[in-house]
Amino acid sequence: MTETNVADKPKTQFKVKDYKSDTKPIWCPGCGDFGVLASLYQALAKLNLPSHEVAIISGIGCSSRLPGYVATYGFNAVHGRILPIATGVKMASPEITVIGTGGDGDGFSIGMGHVPHAARRNVDMTYIVMDNEIYGLTKGQLSPTAHVGDVTKTSAYGSIERPVEPVDLMINVGASFVARANAGDPKQMADLIVQAIQHKGFAFIDALSPCRTFRGIEQKKFINANTFKVEDHDHDPSDKRKALDIADSQEGISTGLLYVEERPPYDELYKDLRDRATQKPVPEIQDILQRYIP
Amino acid sequence: MERNDIVIGMAGSGGDGVVSAGEILVSAGASEGVHAFMLKSFGPQIRGGESSCRVRLSGKQIQSHGDQVQVLGIFSWNDFKQFRGEMHLNDPVVIVMDSADKTSKDDIPIDEDIDRIIYEVPIAQLAKDKAGTLQAKNMVMLGVLSELFGLPDEGLRDAIRKKFKKKDQEVIDSNLKAMEAGATYVRDEIDKTDEVKFSFTPAEPKVLMEGNEAFAYGALYAGCRFSAGYPITPSSEIMEWMGRELPKYDGTMLQSEDELAAIGMVIGAAFAGKKAMTATSGAGISLMSEQIGLASMAELPLVIMNVQRTGPSTGIPTKTEQADLQQALYGTHGDANRVVIAPADVEDCFDVAVQAFYISEKYQIPVIVLSDQYLGQRKETFDQDALFQSDNGFMKTIKREVPTGEDLEDYKRFKFTESGVSPMAYPGIEKGMYQAAGLEHGEHGLPTSDVDMHAKMTEKRFRKNKVIAEELNFVRFYGPEDAEVGVIGWGSSKGAIKEAIQRLNDDGYPVSAAVPQILMPFPQEKLEKYLEPLNTVYVAEMSYSGQFYKYLKGFLRFGDRELKKYARSGAAPFDVSEIYNTVKQEFE
Repeated sequence: MTETNVADKPKTQFKVKDYKSDTKPIWCPGCGDFGVLASLYQALAKLNLPSHEVAIISGIGCSSRLPGYVATYGFNAVHGRILPIATGVKMASPEITVIGTGGDGDGFSIGMGHVPHAARRNVDMTYIVMDNEIYGLTKGQLSPTAHVGDVTKTSAYGSIERPVEPVDLMINVGASFVARANAGDPKQMADLIVQAIQHKGFAFIDALSPCRTFRGIEQKKFINANTFKVEDHDHDPSDKRKALDIADSQEGISTGLLYVEERPPYDELYKDLRDRATQKPVPEIQDILQRYIP
Repeated sequence: MERNDIVIGMAGSGGDGVVSAGEILVSAGASEGVHAFMLKSFGPQIRGGESSCRVRLSGKQIQSHGDQVQVLGIFSWNDFKQFRGEMHLNDPVVIVMDSADKTSKDDIPIDEDIDRIIYEVPIAQLAKDKAGTLQAKNMVMLGVLSELFGLPDEGLRDAIRKKFKKKDQEVIDSNLKAMEAGATYVRDEIDKTDEVKFSFTPAEPKVLMEGNEAFAYGALYAGCRFSAGYPITPSSEIMEWMGRELPKYDGTMLQSEDELAAIGMVIGAAFAGKKAMTATSGAGISLMSEQIGLASMAELPLVIMNVQRTGPSTGIPTKTEQADLQQALYGTHGDANRVVIAPADVEDCFDVAVQAFYISEKYQIPVIVLSDQYLGQRKETFDQDALFQSDNGFMKTIKREVPTGEDLEDYKRFKFTESGVSPMAYPGIEKGMYQAAGLEHGEHGLPTSDVDMHAKMTEKRFRKNKVIAEELNFVRFYGPEDAEVGVIGWGSSKGAIKEAIQRLNDDGYPVSAAVPQILMPFPQEKLEKYLEPLNTVYVAEMSYSGQFYKYLKGFLRFGDRELKKYARSGAAPFDVSEIYNTVKQEFE
């Protein structure tokens, strides 16, 4: 959905409350996911998207409960399969705005096999990973984004595994829009979600979403104290090398739009493919049989 | 002896063009209105390696690859060795072999009890001399076979022209010359001592298709416009077909990164309102299991084709078996309702595809289709008017019921209804917003962990079976109704079972057979009725552990009847004589 479309539809102006479902989140007090949800409502209202033209696909995990709290179409599927299901929805109905929401375990552990493929295909969707570096729903086990030394219920002696770096990963596997945002900064988050939805192609947002229950208040404090905004550093998001540099900045955790590239999305490429397939006359389906009569 | 039914086997290395000779032979048969059937078999090599084919031509309707091979065309005995186990030879067998193969007569790798008549032909030499290339060896072989056994030679020439129609005239000519050289050699040099002679009456050309093609075609005809898949033998032809055809009809075929993604994409497309399917085999269906449960829970219509291969694990990817039955019926955790249908021949693959989409759309349920390598990759003829005769025209137009008017005032996606089917919205429908979920849910689709709601929703999902069973309970019956000995089989075994029953009946043995097309929900009434007159029941299946046998025992009361299991591991499909001899023992 582009801004032009929004301008074309002056009739109804949707408000945040139009996107809220009647279901109360199961999240713990202080959970970063509340911030992401609030920002998503803001972004949908800003884009004035009719609820029935939006589909939110999630997997399993605390954050994957999100579709239930939004009054759009939703699909709370199984663990790790957000991206294939979202790809199916988008390719079946390109006019629908497709948003994937899930956690770091869902995306970068069990669902990791799909990440590079959705990105390189440039499926026109927004993928928001609420990254809390812990397994919350199963109550505190090691996540693939946890740091070396982190003690969790399944890493009693401290993690010995190098963490996945979501932003580096996404830039390298071909995501055409890569951003990072602090769930504690709803304005930044909402702005980035708006841009991600407007972006034609695969847009990824690494949402730093602290887990109060299993990471304590320290995680939130650390994020707030160590994040900086790339727009304050005169960052050029079209430069891939600079994007990778600032993603790994020694000065702290960079947030904002880190990388963006214009590239035709998958559904448009597929439309071209269909045009090529139909250059020669296409027979009636019943007449295909003739091909099999020697 | 003139016969209107002939089975020819050929074996050689990849470069010998055995399979392509077989294809030309069945195509020739089909073009002259002869019933034709071809099975191919490969060694494990990607290219080259040994390959074999078995072709059956008949003036009458045939149901299987037939029985023992009467004529054997050999380019190399060494390559033939690989296929000994699956090519049962007639006694006597007539052999045409390339004299370039110097295997001594005593070392020929066939059962020594079998009488043989051998014609040695300098096949490679003739190909080189007359066509200028060893690549034409298979054409020389076709010429020899055609002349010796009276095969449809005009059809053969046509089929050769068609096969090479994209090449230069020179290529066509040299292949035709090679074929002619084979025929001339027979006329000039061979003194025919065997009695095999094929006779046929030319008729209207028949359709020649593979099961995988027929299924894909049926799916397109049924309105499927989304397909995702991951390549796996022996099902890949379905996604290849879809990849060529769907884009022409405004559809999408997507090659996914794995089977987890393939079924996920199909689930996404189904959720978004499209008729969608995937096809897989072996390991692929195991990987899909979890999400078949998701489709069951979220009541999503989709079709999953499993072209079974020899298992477990990697098994024998290029060979057949019927040992995925239990997985199709029960695979996935929880009480996950689904429908299972098994096509019985190539033409049936088309019909079953149409039915599968009909059931899945009408009842919002995943439908698993159980084909196998024997069905999916064989070529078989059928009449030109066969496909569009039945009521599949009505079936193909069925689409899921969507909510309208009142439904949308307080939309309940999983509303309790008499049939268990609730109108289903999809993105784009105003006021139809709901959440689909793998979580147990209430009528609106919201998650619940309530004991009573779980009981009610489970019952709702299974309630559909009753309605489905009333509408679709097709069982094929063969033989006299009052027979006391019966055979029950399923899927691709139908061909051998039907022919064996016919032969037994012709020989005066009163035997009947039943082959259900729909396996779940179970066609209870029809099979119960079938059992009534029987004293002895054979259950025939290509599953060592007898999966079908065990399944039947769960539904049918056999009482005093003797229940006999004819269950063996797969890799080779049933021969007609195998069933015939097994059942005939009852009368000895």
